[in-house]
Amino acid sequence: MPAYAFIGTWVAALLTLFLMSFLYKDNPFFRFAEALFAGVSLGYYIGITLDQTLRPNLLEPLAQNGVTPTNFHLLFAGLLGLNLYTRYIPRIAWLARLSLAVYVGYYVGINMVQKLQGEVLPQSAATMVDLTGGGNGALAAFNAVVVFVGVISVLIYFFFSLPHDGVVGRVSRLGIWFLMLGFGAAFGYTVMGRVSLLIGRFNFLVIDWIGGTMRALGGG
Amino acid sequence: MAKGIAKLQTIDRRWIFLLIALGTLIPIVLPIGFPVTITPPVKSIYDLIETFGPGDVVILSYDYGPTTGAENDPMADAILRHCFSRDVKVVALALYPLGGLTSLSNSLNRVTAEFPELEYGVDYVNLGYKDGGQASMKLLADDFAKAFPGDTNGRPLAEIPLMQQIKGAREAKLAVSIATGIIGEWWANLINAQFGLPVAVGCTAVSAPKYYAYLEAKQMIGLIGGLKGASEYERMVKEGYPATREAYANPLLQTASKGMDAQTIDHLIVIAFIVIGNIAYFASRRGKGQA
Repeated sequence: MPAYAFIGTWVAALLTLFLMSFLYKDNPFFRFAEALFAGVSLGYYIGITLDQTLRPNLLEPLAQNGVTPTNFHLLFAGLLGLNLYTRYIPRIAWLARLSLAVYVGYYVGINMVQKLQGEVLPQSAATMVDLTGGGNGALAAFNAVVVFVGVISVLIYFFFSLPHDGVVGRVSRLGIWFLMLGFGAAFGYTVMGRVSLLIGRFNFLVIDWIGGTMRALGGG
Repeated sequence: MAKGIAKLQTIDRRWIFLLIALGTLIPIVLPIGFPVTITPPVKSIYDLIETFGPGDVVILSYDYGPTTGAENDPMADAILRHCFSRDVKVVALALYPLGGLTSLSNSLNRVTAEFPELEYGVDYVNLGYKDGGQASMKLLADDFAKAFPGDTNGRPLAEIPLMQQIKGAREAKLAVSIATGIIGEWWANLINAQFGLPVAVGCTAVSAPKYYAYLEAKQMIGLIGGLKGASEYERMVKEGYPATREAYANPLLQTASKGMDAQTIDHLIVIAFIVIGNIAYFASRRGKGQA
């Protein structure tokens, strides 16, 4: 193992242990690692943005070709981005709203069609199921009824223009049960996700740190 | 006795942390090998790639970074091993900033080392990271060159043999997005909805619930959810392609199948504490009632 990789592994392992020490008690090692993580993450992300976004998409095209009729829009986009920083000059802070307006307008425009065509319509259509199961057996029919009842009851729960009394109250109560079941499933998946990250860290500590150190010391 | 049981409600949480840590560490050091059951959302991706042959192209998008590598790396590696075992060409790209710099490169290096007969530019290509999200996806659907002027080494796409075979993403047979967040949704509700390209997503467990809506609406052909999904795909690849078993048997390789041992133990510990907590809660209520 090269020396820089060996040192890097040890630094990463020690920082991992510093962060995990918080589980016992707050301590200066944890605070150091936490502050270091926040600072390095931000610095690294700024570097990534400069190198992977601004340089190839804005700086290089303008530097290589200058401002031409085919790339003047890059200058416009760059000026819009710089304009956001006028936010910090009180006298001209209002200019930043122009850039924000373009930014928000762009995303509303691109997402409106995408959300309608890609989410609202297909997923609404997917809830309009054949309640007999479409000839695919009793289980498919049961699944279809559950989907239908669940969608309707949850939508009624979120319809607040009617008081939740009587029939509406009972149906919205059923909707709450469906929501709770959904949240429970999501929580279960979340637990699995977090444990997976812990497994990844422990794999690193056991295989890369301890195992790697033993292999390096053993001449491997 | 009810008071004694009620005291369980005040267990120091550090004992729980310690048990979870041991439940994670012990299976890593001493693998157990719990069986892995295959589920339809994962199998449908495997079955579709099984219909592909030499010359077909799959797009593999690394839309995650090292923070979720523990879950996403095994999925990406398994898809790559499956494609390479079937001589399916792979166009690898990243729409997540750290995906191109680390995850994509590391995954390709790891897996292509197991297939020395593969040739870069002919069997697979690394296009690297492209900023712009949905805007870039719209561009690459019609013409890769509009979004990626060159590969990750700066080589123009016109000079890469594989990229002469496929001009835009819509000409591929399948797009697989290994995603940590919303980017997988973009592949489903943009690329699939507007261009009709079949899309499969491998996502973190935290994101999996929301992707089931796309799966049920047939906007995705399959879903690999979390470490469990990755272990299922690994099992199918190992069973279908015995040559990959040597790689998976490497003790230094962090696979999803090994991780599921720790997952199972940890979930049993969590379930046990939920049951204990509920027993303690009802015992304390009974205790108050008797008082």
